[in-house]
Amino acid sequence: MMKTRNLTRRELLKSSAMAAGTLALTGVTVPFSQARGSDTIRVGVVGCGGRGSEAARDCVKSSPGVEIVALADAFGDRLDGLKKEFKVRSDRCFVGLDAYKEMMAPDDINLVILGTPPGFRPRQFAEAIDRGKNVFMEKPVAVCPAGIKMVIEASEKAAEKKLAVVAGTQRRHQPAYIETMKRIHDGAIGEIVSAQCYWNQGGLWVNKRQPNQSDVEWQLRNWLYFTWLSGDHIVEQHVHNIDVINWAFNALPESVQGLGGRQYRTGPEYGNIYDHFGVEFFYPNDVRTISMCRQIESATDNVSERVVGTKGVSDCCGIIEGENPWRYEGPNPNPYVQEHADLIKSIRDGSPLNEGQRIAESTLCAIMGRESAYSRQQFKRSWFTSRCTLSLLPPEGLTLSDSKPVDPVAVPGVYELPGLVQEEAGRKKRRA
Amino acid sequence: MALSEKNKRRPEKYAAVAAGAVAAAGSIGRTAYTQGSDKIKVGLLGCGGRGNGALGHCLQADPGVEVIALADLFENQVRRTRDTFAKNEKFKGRVNINDDHLFWGFDCHEKLARCEADLLLMATAPAFRGRQMLAAVKAGKHIFTEKPIATDPVGCRQVIEASKIAEQKGLAIVAGTQRRHEFSRVELMKRIHDGAIGKLVGGQCYWYGGGIWYRGYVQGMSELEWQCYNWYHFAWLSGDQICEQHIHNIDVMNWCFNGPPRKFTAVGGRGCRDYSKQAKEVCSKLNNGSEAGWEKYNGDIWDHIFAEFEYPNGARALSFSGHGPGTGRSGEKIVGTKGTSDCNSRISGENPWQYEGQSVNGQLQEHIDLIKSIRDGKPLNEGQQVADSTLTAIGGRIAAYTGRSFNWSWLLNASKLELVPKQENLRPGPGIFGPIATGRDQLT
Repeated sequence: MMKTRNLTRRELLKSSAMAAGTLALTGVTVPFSQARGSDTIRVGVVGCGGRGSEAARDCVKSSPGVEIVALADAFGDRLDGLKKEFKVRSDRCFVGLDAYKEMMAPDDINLVILGTPPGFRPRQFAEAIDRGKNVFMEKPVAVCPAGIKMVIEASEKAAEKKLAVVAGTQRRHQPAYIETMKRIHDGAIGEIVSAQCYWNQGGLWVNKRQPNQSDVEWQLRNWLYFTWLSGDHIVEQHVHNIDVINWAFNALPESVQGLGGRQYRTGPEYGNIYDHFGVEFFYPNDVRTISMCRQIESATDNVSERVVGTKGVSDCCGIIEGENPWRYEGPNPNPYVQEHADLIKSIRDGSPLNEGQRIAESTLCAIMGRESAYSRQQFKRSWFTSRCTLSLLPPEGLTLSDSKPVDPVAVPGVYELPGLVQEEAGRKKRRA
Repeated sequence: MALSEKNKRRPEKYAAVAAGAVAAAGSIGRTAYTQGSDKIKVGLLGCGGRGNGALGHCLQADPGVEVIALADLFENQVRRTRDTFAKNEKFKGRVNINDDHLFWGFDCHEKLARCEADLLLMATAPAFRGRQMLAAVKAGKHIFTEKPIATDPVGCRQVIEASKIAEQKGLAIVAGTQRRHEFSRVELMKRIHDGAIGKLVGGQCYWYGGGIWYRGYVQGMSELEWQCYNWYHFAWLSGDQICEQHIHNIDVMNWCFNGPPRKFTAVGGRGCRDYSKQAKEVCSKLNNGSEAGWEKYNGDIWDHIFAEFEYPNGARALSFSGHGPGTGRSGEKIVGTKGTSDCNSRISGENPWQYEGQSVNGQLQEHIDLIKSIRDGKPLNEGQQVADSTLTAIGGRIAAYTGRSFNWSWLLNASKLELVPKQENLRPGPGIFGPIATGRDQLT
């Protein structure tokens, strides 16, 4: 059993090298976190709301020998459902904002599912990797550049420790997408010259503020609508589609310019997020793409992606038209289950998947779109990752009874993009 | 058409034929221009900044142009414009406007259409262009019209009708989408249409910039008159910025694709357009010192629209427009399977090309082309084209205002959206104010 908690980075490297060596030699003696073969995968769930619960069920469903053994949530009432469903022992159920730390402490847990609001993800993910856990984490994985940095560092650490990291961008585990992408990367539609992606839909659940709820409790229970918790809907939802476009290009956008606002969904119960974004991402070679997302009731829905090449067009999930027409006709397993099956297989095979960097990058792109829309500034990714000082990480020592006024809705011109100096804005303006 | 073909061979007969046709149709207007070195008598409708600019360019475009009439909603605008041009040495002897050729009021376009001008320049707020153009072509006038030419589908249909009448009568219509008259773009578009960048598969066009003027109250104006004076800020008058300004770039996209899009999807809103200080002043002056209800004077147009146009060949193009802070952008890009172009002077890709010819001022060239076409008896008619581009912009706006996607044929034929009051209901009095669009307004 490998104890990683108090190891320095150097020791860590050594120990994982050793572990790898052992693995190569015997193929049997592996760190516990890399449970192999028929070993039981013992799962702890952090964030037992709708998404966390579904992920727990899908995880169990995905593979034999998976047990949900520990739970953590900010709220006891949110945890009860899973506790009953999986008969989790009371002493393995932890409640509170820091409950995840206690839950992750025992060494017998070798996989954690992170399903809390994304604002908490970077710290929880870093903690999980520190503790030597394999991780399934819901998307998005951060809401600000500071969080992205943490996730990327933790992912690198996970790689060193040979821990598996899979993210809830389930399209990456959907054969129709995978097979289509193979063909796109093999040139079936030629060079990509244009692309679009959309998440236009109606509204989602909303929890109005109840009497006696503190600011923090209400915002947590209504987390979709606060940028520091959800990242806004372009990050929370549309990251799926942006991730697909990144996948198709096998590259990240170099710069971004967005528009957005809050035109229809303006009540206080909707916090401070926008209800629409329209973002242009500039991929290498000045290939410009459309990203559009909207949460407005009874408007026209469209959740999809489309890439256009010099030789054809594809919907990214099963159809290629043009010079090399093709249709995916294989099986369509439930991708929400498949992502767990792939994760667990990779753990058991000793070749852990690590999607941490990739999901951090796609999340980053969505955050760039949001910040560009909030500020109406065009900026480069290199600027954003190196010089934007935006951090929305939850305050250290946050408690559920804290008061935390709702941040104002971003008004372009008033909203300040941290780190953007005025002369830089001026220079870009002249160039454009 | 047949008439112009005939005319090409026997130009001397053409004017007479056209005159006969007009006379037979019972028009009281003078005919289309008679050729040669004759003067072209011009009337200006809309004496604001753009109208003054257009008149200046028209006078520069051809020495035979003579200004004989001016019309505007406001008397002082008409008089000021006459003074300005009468004083201008450059146009000496060519500005001959009698007092009885100064027209003002909501029906000034009707009066102007009855005068003996050959060519009318139209530069009022776009809301009224349809009825103005119909009156003009029925009276046998050639037209230069500023863009856009409407703010709703009904207005676009009026212009399409006017354009058909103009064609029958051999009248010219040129629109103020001046990019169509810039030599570099004309040469470039020939190449794009000839396949220099292959099949068109994508495109982008932009007009995002700083804000615009807001006009305060002027003593003596009724509320509706003030609203017309401050027209940009009301969608029924300007069509919103996507229509009023961004139409230039949208027109270039349509030019690339040789026609309008087939499908519209858009998002947008108003997040930072704020004239509350001025609006309160206007409110106070119009309402005996009360600022109650000042919000309506803030205007109802949005400050950003992000639209996707799907063209008949399946290509999807971005239209990105608005006013506000941040990074400004303006221009176009077209993407083909064999290359790309800035839609201005350059092609990159398999067939690189750079325009190196003469560069011209499109806002002057459009008048030169117009007058030449009249003199040559081969009248240009851009009515349908500018109606298509205006309707494209309006489609982007409607898609954003309603949150609904729809197709071109619905927009062109079935949309009942009519924002502009009937002519008989336009008189000094209360303004016409609607709520700011919500992003899921009713699709009309």
